[in-house]
Amino acid sequence: MNPDTDKKLAVAAASGLAGALATVAVCGWQRFWINWILWFVFLLTIGLGCLFLVALEHVVGARWSVPLRRVPERLSSLALLVGPASLLALFSLGTLYPWTRPESLKDPAVSGKAVWLNTRFFSARVVGCLLLWAVAYWILVRGSVRQDRTGDPRFNLRARRFAPLFMIIFAITITVVAFDWISSLEPAWYSDVFGVYLFAGTFLAGLAATSLAVLYLKRIGRLSQVGPDHLYNLGGFLFAFTVFWCYIGFAQYLLMWYANMPEEVFWYKERLAGGWGPLLVGLAVVHFLVPFLILIPRAAKSDPRFLFWTAALMLLSHWLDLYWMIFPAAGRSPLPGWPELCFGLLFVSGALLFIRGLLRRGSDMPAGDPFLGEGLEFRL
Amino acid sequence: MNGKGSVLGIFANARLLVEAIPDIRGKATGRLEAYTPFPIHGIDRALGLRKSPVGGMVFLMGVVGALSGLLFELWANGVDYPILTAGKPYLSWEAFVPIMFEMTVLFACFTSGLGMLLLLNRLPLFRNPVLRSPAMALFTKDKFGLEVQLDERGPDAETVAALLRQSGAEAVERIEEAGPRAAASPEFLASVAGGIVLVCALAGLLTYWATKLFPVSVPMVHMLSQPRLDPERSDPFFRDGFGMRPPVAATVLRGSVPYLIASEEEAAVVQNPLPRTEAVLGRGRQLFTDHCAVCHGLLGNGIGTLTPAYGAKPANLVAQKIIDLRDGQIHYVVRMGKNAMPSYAADLDDDQRWAAVHYVRALQRALNAKDEDIAR
Amino acid sequence: MSALSAADRELVLRKLRLPPVLSGPITCGDLDDQVLSHVTQKPPRAWAVAFSITSLAALAGFAFIGYTFYVGIGAWGNNIPVAWAFGIINFVFWIGIGHAGTLISAILLLFRARWRNAIARFAEAMTIFAVMVAGLFPLIHVGRPWLAFWLMPYPNQRGLWPNFRSPLMWDVFAVSTYFSVSLLYWYLGLVPDFASLRDRTRGRVRRFLYSVLSFGWRGAATHWHHFERAYLVIAGLATGLVLSVHSVVSFDFAVSLVPGWHMTIFPPYFVCGAIFAGFAMVVLAMVVVRTTMHLEHLITEYHLDVMNRILLTCSCLMAYAYLLEGFTAWYSMNPYIHHTFLQYIVGAYGWAGRLTIACNILIPQLLWLRFFRRNTAGMLLVSVAVTIGMWFERFVIIVSSLHQDFLPSSWHLYKPTVVDFGILTGSFGLFFTLVLLFARVLPVIATTEMKIVLPGSQPGGESHER
Repeated sequence: MNPDTDKKLAVAAASGLAGALATVAVCGWQRFWINWILWFVFLLTIGLGCLFLVALEHVVGARWSVPLRRVPERLSSLALLVGPASLLALFSLGTLYPWTRPESLKDPAVSGKAVWLNTRFFSARVVGCLLLWAVAYWILVRGSVRQDRTGDPRFNLRARRFAPLFMIIFAITITVVAFDWISSLEPAWYSDVFGVYLFAGTFLAGLAATSLAVLYLKRIGRLSQVGPDHLYNLGGFLFAFTVFWCYIGFAQYLLMWYANMPEEVFWYKERLAGGWGPLLVGLAVVHFLVPFLILIPRAAKSDPRFLFWTAALMLLSHWLDLYWMIFPAAGRSPLPGWPELCFGLLFVSGALLFIRGLLRRGSDMPAGDPFLGEGLEFRL
Repeated sequence: MNGKGSVLGIFANARLLVEAIPDIRGKATGRLEAYTPFPIHGIDRALGLRKSPVGGMVFLMGVVGALSGLLFELWANGVDYPILTAGKPYLSWEAFVPIMFEMTVLFACFTSGLGMLLLLNRLPLFRNPVLRSPAMALFTKDKFGLEVQLDERGPDAETVAALLRQSGAEAVERIEEAGPRAAASPEFLASVAGGIVLVCALAGLLTYWATKLFPVSVPMVHMLSQPRLDPERSDPFFRDGFGMRPPVAATVLRGSVPYLIASEEEAAVVQNPLPRTEAVLGRGRQLFTDHCAVCHGLLGNGIGTLTPAYGAKPANLVAQKIIDLRDGQIHYVVRMGKNAMPSYAADLDDDQRWAAVHYVRALQRALNAKDEDIAR
Repeated sequence: MSALSAADRELVLRKLRLPPVLSGPITCGDLDDQVLSHVTQKPPRAWAVAFSITSLAALAGFAFIGYTFYVGIGAWGNNIPVAWAFGIINFVFWIGIGHAGTLISAILLLFRARWRNAIARFAEAMTIFAVMVAGLFPLIHVGRPWLAFWLMPYPNQRGLWPNFRSPLMWDVFAVSTYFSVSLLYWYLGLVPDFASLRDRTRGRVRRFLYSVLSFGWRGAATHWHHFERAYLVIAGLATGLVLSVHSVVSFDFAVSLVPGWHMTIFPPYFVCGAIFAGFAMVVLAMVVVRTTMHLEHLITEYHLDVMNRILLTCSCLMAYAYLLEGFTAWYSMNPYIHHTFLQYIVGAYGWAGRLTIACNILIPQLLWLRFFRRNTAGMLLVSVAVTIGMWFERFVIIVSSLHQDFLPSSWHLYKPTVVDFGILTGSFGLFFTLVLLFARVLPVIATTEMKIVLPGSQPGGESHER
């Protein structure tokens, strides 16, 4: 990996940071915080999605994915990287979240929820989630890295026992993230499938990031033993779960559209007005239609080029999904301004820098896993 | 099939078969076909089979299904028979998505299944000679076969048989070509045609019975013949047998207002409550045309379309006698009727009657115009 | 961690290895003999006894349906406001049962989980029978079932088209598509097995029947080439269909304004519940089939273990759904939804709500223990509990929400009548009658698909059992 690229990324990140800080002075705290929330949730979902992939493999006992498992393990460090970012985001509550303000208590739909939506409990939930994710990371990821040295198969037993528990933790925490950070921007709104919707996006983000990293490593000559059969499975999962995402998103929309209750549809009305409506159509096209059509042919699912660009498109569309959900709450129009671009520069370069550092260290495959051989022999 | 039949080699396991194929392909020129009890990995490549077009067919028909489903729904519920349901717009595509999805899957799946069986595999071919050979029982159980078509350019049957034995076949069988298909005889065609006609006739009769006669037989007719009072039907519930009953004595119809004026003279003092505006006169004109003109004529002069038929003489409303009447008296006559004119209390409500009175006054003025009325 | 001795390491590895999918050496010929012989032999006494009981129940059910037909829906316990009761509960219940079959047959095929080959045929048959039984209910629960064809869009002299915006119409299309696609998929899988039967059987009538049914199948490699592709494509489409069918069924409720029904989580929640109920039924049936037909070496402990794990996963997902529903009901700050959810637990039908939670969430947690995943009685306990729990879940959703809806002056309790219970029992009777007939007339294991995974059957000699 080229150290020059690292330098360029560092420069980009620094300039992004400068621009982000300038946003406070020029545009105000609301603009700063709304961007911060968007980007940290984006990176958090990528990290959590990768951690979920790791746990999924342990729960199901899949063997084909063992050679690939180190990649999502590494990428799940992103979830911990954004830990400080989410703690910083707690300072945004006063600016962005209406339920922190006393006049919101006039609305019975918000004041009734004050026992859940108050700064203290909210912060406790954020810290609690971080702690749980850190524990899971320690057991699943650090344990796997330690197994490289010791070759101790007891890690597999421990992971197999812990992974189902992590699934429960993950389900609850991703729902909390969805309800707290995104849904409570407009506290009168409620949708109980929202946690599942964010899960669908998270899983896809994790899969897409993993695919991109795997293909990148293959391109620079590492992970050479991973073959088209493994890629086919990755492509198949991307294909299937983009359909799942579209299904959940459309089901939520259809139900709210059909019943047409004012206390629910105002959220959609905000997100269809102005330029947001065309953005939603674009989102449906790039998040579902385009990947779906590209990945239908069997050959496309294992072709590195198709897979690379489709995964990149999916990561972009997951960002677009979060953008569409979060930004209208601040009453903005969809056209990005220079603060959005600076934040993009900061977080994308910073994340890439971080990931490149991760991928430098340690082995590319879980060398100590007793099922690595079986995984490499996998053929469809 | 090109006239000479084929040679069938029987192999004990899949590995021998797959290893034998490249050998035979090199030496024999006829078409090869393998027979296996279950699909074998790698045999497609060994036989050089092209990619199956099932995927493309399914995609195409899936799109056809989606579009036809969506367009039909939009047309049926949006254009041909637009109904407002739950206040949704006529062309509400969101509500049409579920059925569109089901149509996509339906079209795609049936294309896949039936297209594969009928089109691509061209099954059933009950007269295929390998199907009729005793080796078939082995091929559905646990043995594997390789059939080599014989043609003029290639080696003859004995050579091919020897080749197969060399490659590991445990037995070899000579398959004769199936005889020419028996031409359909006129009797056969006639019976098929007759069968189709019979089926159509039966289907038609069944449909007629199901839709016309079945719904009105017992117990389906229970929904119609319920123990309830129907309009314009007799009913044994009441002693006089009438289903429809007159209003109960000493009761007032809901929404009715009592009319307390006893005679035309008393009515003279009642003023017309409506203002004389263009809107009221317009309404009056509409009502007069609808209700009054038929007897009194469009000009109110007593010559209407029904006058010759009745032989009665409706009043000339623009004559001096009626001009001299007060508004209230004209209103009284409309409400209570006079001589041959029936009461219009049920047809017109109070406001409508007063508006009609205004219009009568306008007619009277119009048909008794003086030069001074032309202003300017 | 301290370093492991070689013996300890071997112990751990053995714990990590999965139990065998197939047991014992078995050849293609043996497989045919063991599975296909049941089609030609006389059935055992137990089968005849079971068949008479189930067909009696089915006939009683049909008698009650006939009575309903003659007298009208007044024979049922439906009233205002509980206008939808047993009819729709049974419909949703049976459609749900069908979903496990498609999941095993189609989705697991896509995952290349070859252990499914032993149970796919039976599971797919259960889907078809469950959908057939389910399809009865929309037909009989309308006031004039003989006019049910009005739901079909056909040109008519009244100039009418059905209302495609209604979720009930979506149901008509979804369920009929599901039935026809499942039937097609099941039939396609049966074609090679019919060919095997055709070539084994002696009787002329049977031979003719199997010839026609097998569609002239020869096992030609060029045919297998297209067959495999078509089968895989339909499996992919059927997966989407499974998601959509029960989502459409959930839309029946979720698009309305009834408190407790209009929750956006209904589509995935119903799909998960369907898979849950279906797997319980499959486990029930598998346990019975493998012991009575002596197929323990083909449907092994591994199959039962995995199916029980899936059951446990679904139970946990249902727990998540219940939790989310309860939380969102509170979070919505809508007093009507608050009231409805309280009624679910402590109202007039609170006993049903508590029974649902006990049967769906608490009892299946026993499956965390390996004993309950491997022991027949334990599995049967959990499966029966889940079946009861899932039926009552639909009861709670429908009856409990409806009996106290918006207008308090309309509130009214619901009491099912004998006819309701008779039809419910009849539906179970019909389902099991069809299953018993299937076990007698068709091969319960897809012998062709099993042969693919027998060790040594493929030319590379690789083991493909998992």
